Amino acid sequence: MSMRWYVVRRVLWAVVATFLILSITWGLLAITPNPAAEQMQFQAAASGGSAEAAEEAFEARRGLDRSPWVRYREYMLNMATLNWGWSQSRSQPVTDAIANAVPYTAIYSVPTTILSILVGLSIGLYSATHQYTRTDYAATFFAFFGYAIPNFWFGIILLLVFGVQLGWFPVVFDSDAPFLSLAMGRQLVLPVVVLVTGTIAGIMRYSRAEALEYVEAEFVKTAKAKGADGYRILTRHILRPAAVPLMTILVGDILGIFLAASYLVEVVFGIPGLGQLSYNAILAQDTSLVLGTTLIFTFVSVIGNLVQDVAYTVLDPRIDYGDR
Amino acid sequence: MLKLVAATGVAGLAGCSGNGSGGSEDAEPDVQGTYVSASSVDAQSLNWLTIADSTSGSYVTATLDGTWAITPDREIFPLWADYSTDDGRVYEIELREGLEWGAGYGEMTAEDWVYMIETVFQAEDNWSGYPNADDWFRTNPDSGQREPIPVEQTGTRTFEISLFEVDPSFPFKPILWRQQCIPKGILEKYAEDRDTEGLQQDEELNTLAYTGNLGPYTYENWERSASYTVTRNDDYYLRDVADVPDRFREAPYFDQEIIRVISEESTRLGALESGEVDSAGIPPDKATRFENLPNVDVNVTPQPYARVLIYNMRANGWEPFRSKAVRRALAFAVDKESVVENILRGYGQVAQTMQPKWSEWYDDSRVEAFGVGDRYGPEATRSRLESALSGTEYAYDGDRLVDGSGDGVTLTIYYDSGQPTEGTIAEFVAQEFSENAGIEVQPEAVSSSTFQSNYVRTSAPEGSEPEWTAGIFNGGPRDVATSAEPWDMCINLQFNTYPFTPASSKGFFERRGGINFYGYYPEEDIGELYERASSTTDDARRRELFGEAFGLISEEQPFGFLAMPSSVSGYAEDVRGYDEEFNTGWDSQTWYFA
Repeated sequence: MSMRWYVVRRVLWAVVATFLILSITWGLLAITPNPAAEQMQFQAAASGGSAEAAEEAFEARRGLDRSPWVRYREYMLNMATLNWGWSQSRSQPVTDAIANAVPYTAIYSVPTTILSILVGLSIGLYSATHQYTRTDYAATFFAFFGYAIPNFWFGIILLLVFGVQLGWFPVVFDSDAPFLSLAMGRQLVLPVVVLVTGTIAGIMRYSRAEALEYVEAEFVKTAKAKGADGYRILTRHILRPAAVPLMTILVGDILGIFLAASYLVEVVFGIPGLGQLSYNAILAQDTSLVLGTTLIFTFVSVIGNLVQDVAYTVLDPRIDYGDR
Repeated sequence: MLKLVAATGVAGLAGCSGNGSGGSEDAEPDVQGTYVSASSVDAQSLNWLTIADSTSGSYVTATLDGTWAITPDREIFPLWADYSTDDGRVYEIELREGLEWGAGYGEMTAEDWVYMIETVFQAEDNWSGYPNADDWFRTNPDSGQREPIPVEQTGTRTFEISLFEVDPSFPFKPILWRQQCIPKGILEKYAEDRDTEGLQQDEELNTLAYTGNLGPYTYENWERSASYTVTRNDDYYLRDVADVPDRFREAPYFDQEIIRVISEESTRLGALESGEVDSAGIPPDKATRFENLPNVDVNVTPQPYARVLIYNMRANGWEPFRSKAVRRALAFAVDKESVVENILRGYGQVAQTMQPKWSEWYDDSRVEAFGVGDRYGPEATRSRLESALSGTEYAYDGDRLVDGSGDGVTLTIYYDSGQPTEGTIAEFVAQEFSENAGIEVQPEAVSSSTFQSNYVRTSAPEGSEPEWTAGIFNGGPRDVATSAEPWDMCINLQFNTYPFTPASSKGFFERRGGINFYGYYPEEDIGELYERASSTTDDARRRELFGEAFGLISEEQPFGFLAMPSSVSGYAEDVRGYDEEFNTGWDSQTWYFA
């Protein structure tokens, strides 16, 4: 009962937090001078026209000639009623813009998340049981190399070597390729490689550290004495207790499996996904679209946190939030 | 001005990857292939009433020709319409026969045009937010007020524009050059109620459904941030027109055109190299590499933008800049040829005045050259600067210029933090000033939006009423109105020199010009020369007057004119149709694969 009450309270708080974040986002957008407007005024004056007329035209187009309170109210109501409005910078409804972008983000974020979790966990667990061996050092080096290298630079290098020089992969992302085809798979290899090498380090080191706690544990020694081989010990005896704290980082990742957008990778490879969408929306100060994408990311983060906390209690019955 | 760039057309952006097998000696090339160009940014909208960026403009121009084009020889090439005028003040526009709208809106008539101009462009409160509405208003000399230009329908396909004053270069201005139109049937749904949102979100306007036979291509698909596809229009009206050159006979010669949006420069260039796109813009420092590639042809075209060194003559700048002698002396300090050869890698031309050398308004005999040959160097600069500053507190202490209290003169120069080439130019200028004029210069990086708001906008201090004001950029007399932050020089603005319509740059050289944010007070009445030149219908006289104006400008040195960078594009080696002249994309619908 008190656990359920805890969850309810957290969900209500999620709603309040989202509302606050959206309001602050709207406020920041409203007070920021728009560089496009400034640019237009300058161009108008430079060609002998009127800067004021250019500014008025700009405000009329953007609906900025109404008072801030009116605009704020309209945006918040629209967000709440799921009528997210019209994106000025893409001239389509915000919902369409997001719906078009999410699949392109999903096609690289799903393989990335799955691969980095699987590979990261395996390498981490393997390193834990073979601590300080050459393989352990190699794995650590590989993980930190991927972590330290800037994604966008690595992506460009891979593209130049494998795309331009060797021609193994296409340089231009073809958005018309069907999603589950070989052609799509081929053009996703490089982005996924870049992203996986970047995220593996965290999972690998964390799982290694957690597993190490149990490698010398009593029950593991018992299992070894009973004749269990390395693999069985790893999966049936070490992984289970280690999974509990690991869940705290993994559940969040899994929830965001469709939305692990990386702006830098999308820019380098030309993938029209959520990362580019939200960044370009901010640059263009396209308020409706910025609020729409912010809402999604905020919601996923807040709910993700909640799910992670709840998963923790499910996996480890000793933990309970009931008395909070 | 945005149309100036938009008019280069979709085909002017990228290269091709078709497999050509047609005969190269035929009068008309074969229709084949898909022309793929690479763009660094996506369009914002296809609803051209709401857009003000050149990428969106180029997307639309592929499907809608517009009134007429301007050839590189500065001639009007009628597309949808032609004009005629007796006195250069009243213009009659005649639309061609057989121009059909799509989506069932019938034939294009003068009624569509007049309705659009009167209810949208000239609407009193600009309810639609049309960006170029101001173009359709001019000052009526009788009333002294800004009024809408009278437009009247005079026939089914003719209408008349009566300007208040003579303006012979009117057809060359973006107000009508390549101007598009919208069927009255669409506009009337929103004009009555002044429904801005409805107009912006209208589906037919956003999917170019109304383009009929009015352009070389028709809209196929727009995947935001990814690609824009148009297909060959089988009904293209220009094919049926008698008086066009043969190469338009079967235009366009591509089955499809696709614009791919690739924001990362390395990826874009990589795609050009691997043949996945047919054209892309190339930055000057990479051009040599592409010139050596067998599958890419590099094309260099002149651009009308001048890179200038602006001196701040307002109260928060450096006062000696106000002296013409000082500015002329400083013009000897910077080696312009070095800027072009070393910083722009040879892709540019030296600038001496507010017109490019190849323009018909540039009079070699009148323009004074600075910063080249023997009009450059430390002795030349110092001797002139010394005599120019002879009555002031500034003097030379050895090699260094010092002020009244013996401190060395240090000036600041601002450049755009996002443009490394500008940074190089700023550092070069600093170096030249130090060596040749004994003035220390400190380069400062600033973002373009910060620069715009804190350094370009000028106004009088709070509470005071300046004697006059000319807008947000020229807030008043230079001793009273200044920008929020002090600055001495800047290099981050490039100005369009308008080689087709030179009168448009008048505001830079007038004390009360709307763009005169640097506080320049001309000694000669340059503005008056501009006005006389724009109001005479005698071409030879106009050329003479503009020649004199630009000669005067080079004499007075309001800015340090440095260079006019060229535009470098790479095309796949089987693309044909482009050339090395300005505005080479004007007939891009006749480009083809060899």
